[in-house]
Amino acid sequence: MILLDEVRLTLTSAAGPVNVLRGVSLRVGAGETVSLVGPSGSGKSTLMMVTGGLERPSAGRVVVAGVDLGKLDEDGLARFRRDAIGIVFQSFHLIPTMTALENVAIPLELAGRGDAFEAARAGLAAVGLEERVLHYPGQLSGGEQQRVALARAFVAAPNLLLADEPTGNLDTATGRRVIDLLFELSAKHGTTLLLITHDRDLARQCHRIVHMADGRIVEAPEQAGTAAGVARLGVR
Amino acid sequence: MPLAWRLARRELRGGLRGFRIFLACLALGVAVIAGVGSLSAAVSAGLRADARAMLGGDIELHLVHRPATPQQRAYLAKDADVSEVAQMRAMARTEDGDERALVELKAVDGAYPLYGAVTLDPAQMLDAAVAKRDGHWGAVVAPGLLTRLKLHLGDPVRVGDATFTLRAILTHEPDAATGGFEFGPRIMVATPALAETGLLAPGALVGYSYRLRLPPGADTSAWVAAVKSAFPDAGWRIREFGNAAPNLQRLIGRVTVFMTLVGLTALLVGGVGVGNAVRGYLGGKTATIATLKCLGAPGRLVFTAYLTQILALAAGGIAVGLMLGALTPALAMPLLSSFPITARLSLYPAPLLLAAVFGLLTTLAFALWPLATAREVPAASLFRDLVDPAPRRPRLGYVLATAAAALALAGLGIVTASDRFTAAWFIAGAAGALVAFHLVAAGIVLAARRVGRPRAPRLRLALANLYRPGAPTAGIVASLGLGLTVLVAIALIERNIDSTIDERLPEQAPSFFFIDIQPDQVAEFDKLVAATPGVTQFARVASLRGRITQLNGVPVEQAVVAPEAQWTIQSERGLTYAATPPRGSRIVAGDWWPADYHGPPLVSMDAEIARGMALKLGDTITVNVLGRDVTATIANLREIDWTSLGINFVLVFSPGMLEAAPQTHIATARTRPGDEAALERAVTDRFPNVSAIAVKDALAALSEIVAAIGTALRATAAITLAAGTLVLAGAVAAGQRRRVYEAVVLKVLGATRSDVTRAFLIEYGILGLTTAAIAAALGTLAAYLVLTRVMHQDWTFMPGALVSTAVIATALTLGIGYAGTWKALGAKAAPFLRNE
Repeated sequence: MILLDEVRLTLTSAAGPVNVLRGVSLRVGAGETVSLVGPSGSGKSTLMMVTGGLERPSAGRVVVAGVDLGKLDEDGLARFRRDAIGIVFQSFHLIPTMTALENVAIPLELAGRGDAFEAARAGLAAVGLEERVLHYPGQLSGGEQQRVALARAFVAAPNLLLADEPTGNLDTATGRRVIDLLFELSAKHGTTLLLITHDRDLARQCHRIVHMADGRIVEAPEQAGTAAGVARLGVR
Repeated sequence: MPLAWRLARRELRGGLRGFRIFLACLALGVAVIAGVGSLSAAVSAGLRADARAMLGGDIELHLVHRPATPQQRAYLAKDADVSEVAQMRAMARTEDGDERALVELKAVDGAYPLYGAVTLDPAQMLDAAVAKRDGHWGAVVAPGLLTRLKLHLGDPVRVGDATFTLRAILTHEPDAATGGFEFGPRIMVATPALAETGLLAPGALVGYSYRLRLPPGADTSAWVAAVKSAFPDAGWRIREFGNAAPNLQRLIGRVTVFMTLVGLTALLVGGVGVGNAVRGYLGGKTATIATLKCLGAPGRLVFTAYLTQILALAAGGIAVGLMLGALTPALAMPLLSSFPITARLSLYPAPLLLAAVFGLLTTLAFALWPLATAREVPAASLFRDLVDPAPRRPRLGYVLATAAAALALAGLGIVTASDRFTAAWFIAGAAGALVAFHLVAAGIVLAARRVGRPRAPRLRLALANLYRPGAPTAGIVASLGLGLTVLVAIALIERNIDSTIDERLPEQAPSFFFIDIQPDQVAEFDKLVAATPGVTQFARVASLRGRITQLNGVPVEQAVVAPEAQWTIQSERGLTYAATPPRGSRIVAGDWWPADYHGPPLVSMDAEIARGMALKLGDTITVNVLGRDVTATIANLREIDWTSLGINFVLVFSPGMLEAAPQTHIATARTRPGDEAALERAVTDRFPNVSAIAVKDALAALSEIVAAIGTALRATAAITLAAGTLVLAGAVAAGQRRRVYEAVVLKVLGATRSDVTRAFLIEYGILGLTTAAIAAALGTLAAYLVLTRVMHQDWTFMPGALVSTAVIATALTLGIGYAGTWKALGAKAAPFLRNE
């Protein structure tokens, strides 16, 4: 599903070049759940951006769902994200002038789907928000907003879901609910999940834990070790 | 509905917050252009609708010095109704001679007016009012004459050798507007009465107008061609009703052009506000744009969606501007009550459409760049905290589109102006000023950066705010500066013209012009004036009237004559002849003929007019004098100082050609202050046919006209400044959140309200004063160029206008900046600190 081969990324700043990724290689199978952990500045977010086609590496190869991202132009990457990738952010990033229904429908509208709104309604129902379809983000709680974001990320049945600290802005109980939904929907759609988190317990719920430090993967991928993670394997 | 439209519509749900200044700027600029255009169209419509009444007929044939011959009259009356009107200047006086006044005497026949109606007070028929009763002819007069002569209705008034009874006040004269500049109030009498005045001496400056009413459906152009063919040497000036009042039409055109250009400047200034608003709005949409891109939206879709939104909002602003503009003629009606044309209230789509297109092009010119920049927001910006984001540049296609919109805006402004040359220079100047102010703003930012870190914290904060990323320095300086530049330029031009009329001209001007002095009165006239106490200067020349008919053998209708020389071919000109060069002229090319010259006709010509007609030494000019064509060779060119108000002629012929033609003499005389009345009385008592034009009165009338035009121009310039003020307010409002945050943090750290206020006021004070200085310089340069190169006037530096500009600019920036600061100082700290 994901193949990263000696991926390097150097950014230019006022203080000089910064090597954000220093030769990262990683393979992730279809349907796997992988957590990326590591200290701030270790390159986790950058790795996620490179995987999602949001950042072009300075060197190396990125292949996702069989597509070599290096061969796509900007619009090609956008179309690829539209069709194959879902993203969940820590700050939700719902569009404030659109209702929950419109926020979820947007990826399908971009793809030109005529049933965008029907599918969006079903997506919101899947996250328990069928009563809130016409509410704007400002009228939803943090947990509800993140559930809308989840529905948006999954509405196009993506091959790959990228989640950047999805519970970072939520209280514990709400965050747990969101995570349960995240894993449930991933399993349901057979989506590969790449998750950034500082929560060790959450990390262990994934099939693998990948440690990063200083722009490199520093430990061998860790296998899932928690009961919740094993249970999820079973759910799948 | 396309997805871009759907996205735009959803984004519009965010409301108009951040767009109020955008809408106001667009509405204001569009309203000015639409209003000026609608008003001009309404006045022009009035001119067209009343054209026949204003001209007095379908066609007017005009002769000077002599009436039409019986043969000509018979021809005119063959297929049309004819009304004959004679007009001249004369002196009216009370029977005891104590009061006298220069009047515009008009003698009308029974058919007058062929179109329109004369209104009298008390109401009565004109025929009856001017008829002879009890041995006295009647006269109807403008109200001003009664006041001037201290008379009442029923009193007698003398004009020349005749005595008239004042029978009514003339409240409406349908053909008054086409009469040209009037030096005195109107007195209207019957045609037979004119002969009894004794004023119709040979060469007297009498204009005979023959107004024709053709049968319905007749082709006026064909009729004119036929009469020209029938009487090729008649020398008459022929006007059709479609060109009833060319001077008035020209004045309307010029004022319209200028006010439209100033309105366009207001739109240009508003465009800066549009750009700021769009930039500010899209700056707040970075997360949304990045989110859409993460979800797979291509950049083109993002651009189209926000462009659609901006255009939808622009349509709203333009619509408001069009509504205000369409209402302008109705709102301006009370101000036009003394105008000789009745504006026609209606909806005029053409100027509204033009204003809308201007508004659209302005929106595109100023919004495309920030839209194109926003298109480049990277999706990755949601992941990376971009404290100091890399500058994004629009793609080349959008840069070209912006340039195309700007060029289209400038091009449309030039192409739609009746005076394209002036429009082109004006637009180039405005664009240049905008660029100059942006450079000044860059200079302010650079200088503030270079000053370093002063020890004084308030000054340090103020300077830092000038060059911090996102500072509105450029927008404030450009928009305010442009408005102030226009205001300074107009103020200086107006004050210079006022000074010329009120101070400089009177210093050199004669006290009187005397006209219609008969040749056999000349010797006695000279003696009388010389003997009158108080006379310090005196000059007299022979004067005839003629029409220029050919330039180098080419009929004037076919010749290419520059706009500034057009006035010389549109009606009769004064002519004279002289053995020696006239005083007040300077020969700049060629030589004057010998004093005893008796050769082929030569002519001395005004150099500027010759230039406008593309004539040079050796070329010929043909003039029709009293029905005879006279062709003369240009022997020399003169530079004339018209501001001396001396006796000057565009054409001075060599002796030996015109002496025998019927003519009169005109004279100027200058007296010591207080001796004018004695001279006027002495001359007009002895020579009742001689009219005395008091130059002071003429200058006062001119001053009033200039003041009225000046008021209109200043009003339009003030609108430009209002647009600049809006942009300034918008820029301050856009930075309000940052200002509040700064104020809160400073207060937490121990700064007093006074500390914070002073820092902000220093920032705005620097902006205001610098802007004022540059606006003063550019406005002065613009005024100098217009006065010296376009109006050919002397230039006087007037610091008063510049000081008031500096005061206005500084007061505006400080006032608005202080209002924003005051609001910031009142903000509670908790919300800002908690949200961190």
